[in-house]
Amino acid sequence: MLATKKTLLACVSLITLLALLAACGPTPEPQVVKETVIVAGTPEVVEKEVTKVVTEQVEVEKVVTPTAPPGRDVIIVGLSAAPDTLDPADHRNRQSETVVRNMFDGLVTRDSTSGVHLELAEEINWLDDVTLEVKLREGVLFHDGVEMTADDVVFTFERIILENMIEYPEAHTSPRKGLIAPLESIEKTGDYTVVMHFSAAWPVAMQMLVHQQIVPKHYLEEVGTEGFVAQPIGTGPFKFVSATGLDEIVMERFDDYSGGAPDLEPVGPACVRQAVFKVIPEASTRVAALLAGEVDIIQGVPAELVDTLAQTPGVQVKGAAGTQPKWMEMNVNMAPFDDVLVRQAMNYAVDKELIIEAIYGGRAVALPGTLSPYNNYVNKSLEPYAYDPDQALALLADAGWTDSDGDGTLDKDGQPFSFTIDTLEDFRPLAEAVAGQFRAIGIDAGVRFWEYSVVKPMLQAGERQAYLDDWGDSAFDPVGHFEAKWHGFVEGEPYGRGNFSGYNNERVNELIKLGEITVATDERQALYDEAQQLVYDEAPAVFLVLPEEAEAARADILNWTPASDSRINLHDVCIAP
Amino acid sequence: MRAVKVIERMLITVPIMFGVAVVVFLFMRLTPGDPVDIMMGQGGAVGVGEMERLRSEFHLDEPLHVQLWLFLKDAVRGDLGYSYTQKRPVSELIAQRLPATIELAAGALFFALLLAIPIGIVSAVRQRSLLDQFSMAGAFLGVSMPAFWLGIILILLFSVRLHWLPVQGRLTFGVSLEYVTGFYVLDSILTRNGPALVSSLKHLVLPSVSLGAAVAAIVARVLRSSMVEILRQDYITLARAKGQVEFLVVMKHALRNALIPTVTVVGLQIGTLLGGNMIVETVFSWPGLGRMVVKAIFERDFPLVQGSVMVYAFTFVLANLVVDVLYTYLDPKIEL
Amino acid sequence: MDATTTAQNAIARMAYVWRIRLRLLRGNLGDFWIQLRSRPLALLGGIVVVLYILAAIFAEQIVPHDATLSDLRLRLIPPAWQEGGDLSYLLGTDDQGRDLLSRIIVGARVSLLVGLLSVGISVAVGTALGALAGYYRGFLDQALSRFADLLLAFPFLIFAIGMMAFLGPGFWNLILALTFKGWVEFFRLVRGEMLAEKPKEYVEAAKVVGQSHPAIIASEILPNIIQSVFVLGTLRMGFMIIMEASLSFLGLGIQPPTPAWGSMVASGRDYMLTSWWMSTLPGIAILILVLSINLFGEGLRDILDPRLKVE
Repeated sequence: MLATKKTLLACVSLITLLALLAACGPTPEPQVVKETVIVAGTPEVVEKEVTKVVTEQVEVEKVVTPTAPPGRDVIIVGLSAAPDTLDPADHRNRQSETVVRNMFDGLVTRDSTSGVHLELAEEINWLDDVTLEVKLREGVLFHDGVEMTADDVVFTFERIILENMIEYPEAHTSPRKGLIAPLESIEKTGDYTVVMHFSAAWPVAMQMLVHQQIVPKHYLEEVGTEGFVAQPIGTGPFKFVSATGLDEIVMERFDDYSGGAPDLEPVGPACVRQAVFKVIPEASTRVAALLAGEVDIIQGVPAELVDTLAQTPGVQVKGAAGTQPKWMEMNVNMAPFDDVLVRQAMNYAVDKELIIEAIYGGRAVALPGTLSPYNNYVNKSLEPYAYDPDQALALLADAGWTDSDGDGTLDKDGQPFSFTIDTLEDFRPLAEAVAGQFRAIGIDAGVRFWEYSVVKPMLQAGERQAYLDDWGDSAFDPVGHFEAKWHGFVEGEPYGRGNFSGYNNERVNELIKLGEITVATDERQALYDEAQQLVYDEAPAVFLVLPEEAEAARADILNWTPASDSRINLHDVCIAP
Repeated sequence: MRAVKVIERMLITVPIMFGVAVVVFLFMRLTPGDPVDIMMGQGGAVGVGEMERLRSEFHLDEPLHVQLWLFLKDAVRGDLGYSYTQKRPVSELIAQRLPATIELAAGALFFALLLAIPIGIVSAVRQRSLLDQFSMAGAFLGVSMPAFWLGIILILLFSVRLHWLPVQGRLTFGVSLEYVTGFYVLDSILTRNGPALVSSLKHLVLPSVSLGAAVAAIVARVLRSSMVEILRQDYITLARAKGQVEFLVVMKHALRNALIPTVTVVGLQIGTLLGGNMIVETVFSWPGLGRMVVKAIFERDFPLVQGSVMVYAFTFVLANLVVDVLYTYLDPKIEL
Repeated sequence: MDATTTAQNAIARMAYVWRIRLRLLRGNLGDFWIQLRSRPLALLGGIVVVLYILAAIFAEQIVPHDATLSDLRLRLIPPAWQEGGDLSYLLGTDDQGRDLLSRIIVGARVSLLVGLLSVGISVAVGTALGALAGYYRGFLDQALSRFADLLLAFPFLIFAIGMMAFLGPGFWNLILALTFKGWVEFFRLVRGEMLAEKPKEYVEAAKVVGQSHPAIIASEILPNIIQSVFVLGTLRMGFMIIMEASLSFLGLGIQPPTPAWGSMVASGRDYMLTSWWMSTLPGIAILILVLSINLFGEGLRDILDPRLKVE
C-alpha cells in the first residue's frame, strides 16, 4: 500500500514538474535595462525610406544577454531555408536570390517595394519595341579588382539564354532562361554598351531584369562553374568569404563597391564589416535565436508571432507589402461550384476583416479580386467582396441551396452542401478559419493538407473541389501571374500552369495574351482592368487576403527595411553603436 | 575464424544495399510529383519547352528501366549523380553533412548512456524502492515525448529564458575552427582550440538531450531487467557470501554480464539515432543529413534522396555489424 | 463406432480441453491481478490507459464544447487558472477559438486508434508471416527474412515520410505508412520464437497425434508465444503515437478538423511564446498516455514474460 502511494507521489511530482517547466518556460521575461538609444545614423536615409512599408515604432531598449553579442560590425541573418546555390544563373529559387543579391548586382535593382532603379546600368533606352540599349556604368569593379565591362554583361546573359552553357556538374542550360525567355540575343556595341534583342515587345522587361545578376567573364572562364560556386565573385556590396555547406554563408564588406543604385541612398560601401547568413528552418527556433541574441535579423516571421515580437522589448518587427495573394480556388467544372451564384455567395460568406484581425494581427489587406492591391496594374475600381452572410444565403437560395430539412446544413435535391478545402500545411490557420466561416452559414466544409507536388496533378486534372493557396507576383506585374492562374490550361506552355479552378474564359485568355505584348501603359491597364473585372464577377476563387511579409530584427539594427521581393538588403543596414 | 565470419557478414550487406537502391529508386519514381514542376515554383514565367529540356537533362523522359539502369551503373562506380536543385554531386553534399549527423548521434548516445547506466544499475540494485520507481518513470518520460516538443521546451527554457545554452547551429559565429574531420568537437581537440571546444560542446547539449532521451529510456529499461536477473544468479550470491563489497559485486560481476543484451539494444538504437534525427535537426538547425533528406523528398530531388537513403542504410547495416562483432568479445560463447 | 459417436466424442473432448483452458485462464487472471497489484506503477499505467479509452469512447458525452466548432472571436483564451481565463473554457482555446479541453478529449480517439490499429495490424501481419516463416522455413522464410532485413535498413521516419508522400494524406494512409515497416519487428520476434519452440516435445507430440501443420501452429505453438508478442505490442504502441506526432510536425499527419494531439502540438508550436497552452497541453496528454502505456507494458513484461528482455 505504501509502495503505491510512493509511486503515485513519484509520478505526480514528475508530471507536475514537467508541466511547471512547460508553463513557465515559454513566457519570455528578459531582463531589461532601459537605455535610450538615439535612433541615429543618417536622417536623410530615414526620409528616403519607402513609404508603402508599414513600420513598427519600437521603444528602443537593450536586452542584456549573458551571451556576448556578436562583434558590433557583424550582422547575422537567420534564413528560413538554405539557398540552392550561389551561382546567380543556376537556380530557380527565391531564397538563392535573397542571398546572392548581396554579392552580385544587376543592371537594375528594385527598392523595397516595386520601384525599379538603375544599378550597374547608367542608362537604358528602348531603341524600338524589341531592342534595348544598355549603357553601363564605368569604373565598377568585381571583387578581384577587375573592372566590369560590356563583355561581362554579354557573357552573363549568353550564359543564361544559350543552351548548355553551364558545364558543372554536367552540361546544362540555366534554369533562369525562362525568366527572360523573350531575349533572343545580346551584343556588345562598345566597351560599356550592349544591345539586347527581344523576340517580341516585352513590357515587363525592367521588372524581370532585376532578377539577373552580372557575373565576371574572366573569372568564370578561368575557374569554371565549379570553382565559381566554391568562391563566387561579383560586383555586389559584399564579397564571399566562406560557406559551410550552404547553411552558413559568410561575407565581408567590399570596400571598393561601386555604391549600388545611385538614386537609392545610402550610396557607397556597406556599413557592416561582415554579413552572415545562417539557415534556421524552424520558425519557432528562428524567433528563439533572435530573442537569445544569436541572430540580428530573421526572415519569415509567422503571422502568429508578429504581435508577440512587436511587443517584446529589444526587438523590432517590420512588414513589407506582401506579394503572395491568398485565395480559395473553386472547381468551376464540378458541382456545386459550377454555378456562378454559389461562387459569389462563397465570397460574401467570408469575413476577411475578422480573419485579418485574428490570424494576421491586422497585418494583411483584403484582396480586391485577383491581383494584389500593390500590383502595378491592379484594377482600382474593384472593391473586395463585402462580408454579407445574408447576401450569401440569398444567392445560395437562388442557386437552389436551402436548409430544407432543418438540420443546419444547406441542401439541394437531398444532397447536403459538403466539400473539402485542399491546402498545404503552411496555410493551416487561414484554411481552418475560412472553413469555420463556411460552416457558420451551414456549409459543411472540411480541410485537408497535402504536399504540393502530390495535389497539383489532381488539381490540374480537375479532380478536386476547392484549393486554398497563393501565387506570388513579386514582379508586381500581371505577367507571371495572370496567365498562370486565370488563362485556360495549355499543355506544355506557361498558360494556366497554376490554374486550379478550371476557369477558362475566351475573352480573358485573349486579354492576357494582348497584355503580354502591349507596351503602352494605359492600353495595358485597360486590358487588365477588363480581365480583372471578368474574373472578379465570375469569381472562380474566393479572394481572401494579402498578408504582409514580416521580418524581425534586434532593436539596434538601423536602416533595415524588409523588401517585398524577399531580398535582404544588408548593404544599407547598420548596427547602432 | 572470426575474420572470415566478419567478411562473410560484410558480403551479406551487398545484396541488402542493392535492394535498398532499387526500392528507393522505384519508390521515388512512383511517388506523385514532378521535380521539374516543383522547381519552376510560382513566380516568373516559364518558357515554352523549358520543362521538357530540364526533364531530358535529368533523364526523366527515359523509360523507367533505363533510368534505373543509369542509376545503378553509376552507383556501382560510386557516382550518386548530382542534386537537381543544388547542382552539386550528391556524394559531396552527403560528405558535407554526414559528420554533423554522426556527431549528433554520438552526442545523443553519450547522453543516453550517461543517464541510462546509473539509472539502470541503481534501479536494479534498489528494486521496487522509491528511487527505482522515480528513476524508471523518469526514464520513461524520455520515450513518451515527441522529440520536437521536448526540443522546443528545452530551447525556451535553457536558451531564451536562462541564456545558458545556444538555440541553434554547431558553433557560435566568430569562433574560428580549423576543419580536419568535420566533427567539430574532435576538430577542436585535435587543433587544441579551447574556445571552439566549449562552443561546439555547448551547441551539442540540447540537441543531444532531445534526441537521446528516448534512447536513454530504452537502454535503462534493458539494463535494469538484465541486472535484476543476473543479481539473482548463484555466482552473485557466492560472491556476496565470500564477503566481497557489494559495490564491487555489482560493478564487476553483474554489470559486465548485463551489458551484453544492452549492447544489442544500443546497436539497434544507432539506426534510430542516425535516421530519426531529422526532426531534432530541424528544431535545432543542425546542418545534418536528415534535414536535407526531408527537404529533398518534398522537392522530389531524386538523386539526393536515393544517395542519402543508401548512406543511411549502409551506416545502419555497418553499425549492426560492429555490434555483432563487439558482442562476440563480450560473450565469447556467441558466434557470429 | 458410428459417425455420431465419433462426433460426440470429439465434441466432448473439445469441451473438456476448453474447460481446462478456461480454468487455467481464470487462475492466470487471478495470478495476474495479484502480480499487477504488487506493481503499482504498472497498475497506475493500466488505470490511466483505461480512463483514456473511456474518454475516447464517450467523448461526445463528456466534452463541454463542440471540438470542431471554431469562432475566431474566442481565439487564444488562456486556461481558466490564468489571468484572462474563462471557466467555461477550462484549458483555454486554440488559435481558431476552439475549446482545447474538448479537443484533447476527442483527440484521445485518434491517438488511441493510431496506436491500436498500427500495432494491431503490425502484430497480425508480423505474427502470421513470422509463424509461417519460422515453422516451414525454406524459400518462404528466406524471402521474407531478406525482405525484413531490407526494410529494417531504412530509417523508420524517412520511410514513413516517403510512404506518406507516396500515398497522400489520410487516416488509413497514415496507418499503412506506420504499419509497412512496423510488422518487421513482430515478424522477427515470432519467427525466432517459432524456431525455438518447434523442436520442443509438445510439438512433436502433436505431430504424432496427427494434427495438421496449421493446427499445430495455431493451437499449439502460438498460444505459447503470444504473450511476448503482446508485451512487445504494448511497448510499440507508445512509439507509434509519437510517430504520428512527428509526422504531424512535418505536415503529414492527421487531417483537420479531426483533432489529433500530434497535429495540435505541431501546429501550436509557433504559439509557444505567447500561448503556451496550445501546444503544451496536448503534449502533456501524449506524454501521460504514452508513459502509462509504457509503464503498463513494462509491468506486463515482468509478469508475463520474464525472458523477454530485448525488444
